[in-house]
Amino acid sequence: MIATLQAARVLERSTPMGGGVELICETPLAADVHPGQFFQVAVESPGALLRRPYSAAWTDPTRGLVGFVFNVVGAGSDWLAARNAGDRIDLLGPLGRGFAIDGGRPAVCVAGGLGIAVFIGLSNALTGRGRSTTILYGARSADQLLPAARFPKTRMQLATDDGSAGHHGRVTALLSNAIVGDADIFACGPTPMLVELVRWAQRADVRLARIQVAHETPMGCGVGTCLGCALPRAGGGYMLTCQDGPCISADLVEWTRVVDAFHG
Amino acid sequence: MGEIDLSVDLGRGLRLRSPVMVASGTFAYGFDAPAVDRTGLGAVVTKGTTLRPRHGNPPVRIAETPSGMLNAIGLQNPGVDHVVQAFAPVWARWDLPVIVNVAGDAVEDYVAIARRLDGVPGIAGLELNISCPNVEAGLQFGVDARLAGRLTQAVRQATSLPLMVKLTPNVTDLVAIARAIADAGADSLSAINTLVGMKIDVRHRRPVLENQVGGLSGPAIRPLAVRAVWEVASAVSIPVVGVGGIMTTEDALEFLLAGASAVQVGTANYVRPQAAREIRDGIATHLTEHGWSSLAALPLRAPAHV
Repeated sequence: MIATLQAARVLERSTPMGGGVELICETPLAADVHPGQFFQVAVESPGALLRRPYSAAWTDPTRGLVGFVFNVVGAGSDWLAARNAGDRIDLLGPLGRGFAIDGGRPAVCVAGGLGIAVFIGLSNALTGRGRSTTILYGARSADQLLPAARFPKTRMQLATDDGSAGHHGRVTALLSNAIVGDADIFACGPTPMLVELVRWAQRADVRLARIQVAHETPMGCGVGTCLGCALPRAGGGYMLTCQDGPCISADLVEWTRVVDAFHG
Repeated sequence: MGEIDLSVDLGRGLRLRSPVMVASGTFAYGFDAPAVDRTGLGAVVTKGTTLRPRHGNPPVRIAETPSGMLNAIGLQNPGVDHVVQAFAPVWARWDLPVIVNVAGDAVEDYVAIARRLDGVPGIAGLELNISCPNVEAGLQFGVDARLAGRLTQAVRQATSLPLMVKLTPNVTDLVAIARAIADAGADSLSAINTLVGMKIDVRHRRPVLENQVGGLSGPAIRPLAVRAVWEVASAVSIPVVGVGGIMTTEDALEFLLAGASAVQVGTANYVRPQAAREIRDGIATHLTEHGWSSLAALPLRAPAHV
């Protein structure tokens, strides 16, 4: 895997759900992206210095397209959300390890908030391999849900904090009914959701090696040189989210030492 | 137009083809950076290396701040033995000097590392990180002229490698410390290391960094670094290497005009992996445009008095 620096052209910006922005970018790098991998996006704003890591939500390799779905949380995403069709953005990537998607077992994706983004591409890859795919998707409210039409051929179960769609409560409450037999579990969302998923798995006697999580954390370089994105390793020491992840088997992580880098 | 000579002599046989190095901690051990043409670099300065492997600090380790970033990595590194056995043989095949940044808790640590690295093919020089706390004295080596001088002298006696010492700016009298280090036998000085800073998450009422404080780097510290280089370069007779927030060619030229013989690019590597190469090319263009053939033509013009 060779990471490349390249300018990408913004084709389209849209608002696919409340609080979410989708940018569709044209770049030949699209063909190299594995579901779950990310790009370091240069932010050309005086209020931001470092590149920001963004997972590719989906790709269209034949048309050379990469989609990013995100919300505005600071100077970097604020700048990115203001890009218009025709603007150029500077990408470094694709970077890191994506999800391991081979095998034929049923797949259950667990998404919290904007964590849903990566499952556009992943569910497409899973169903394309003929794998039965269920998505458990939690958000604050119905208006903040990415439409189910973005996930064809999957079964979707919803949870919202305010009860405006699906289960009234956390998405992790759906785990016990949805996960049966030998399913592979893929998870992306806020760190507390990942920790809750791991706790549930330990209680339910589900092997952590069956769970892959996409870990989100601030990054400096994205390529293994700054050592800023440390993730506690089971058995001691640290892994790097940018190299050993962001998609990583849950059994490799020392969850008792994982902190929520975004503090809430 | 003749050939532009960008070479720099940092003493004791350490000669660089370009005055632009990559700074410690921003390029790991030279292997991981993507899309970088290493041959365009003056030198790679490695991650701080200790006697034994270190796991580093728990996350959160980095935070962006206005025009800068804080880091508290905690010297995560594989230890000097691994560097000698796994990395140095690869470096020996590169046409590029690799300078190992050395860190320790006690004079004996530094001395042991210097001995271990002495004469190892692939290692072109040492840079001492003296911003580490001295366990015995209870303060950083680099904040005390006597401690810094003693450490430099001890390492000088332990190695024949070119020796660069990296000054910490978190001091009251940088020039006195620089002089003590030069007198103790350092071949060059690099200035400056990061400034200690802190960022607080107001919503959660706690420090962002798990270590609470961290080293501030990036453009935020550049004016301080330029001033430090200007003060130090006029006070010592050994070469001074400027480092601190260099993002562009113009930034690097500021340091060279302030008296630096060479520069290191750090945080910029994260933003533009080719930054050091681009800045090197920019310096060459600058010299060409002025009809100058080497870096020696970069004097600081005295302020005009009217």
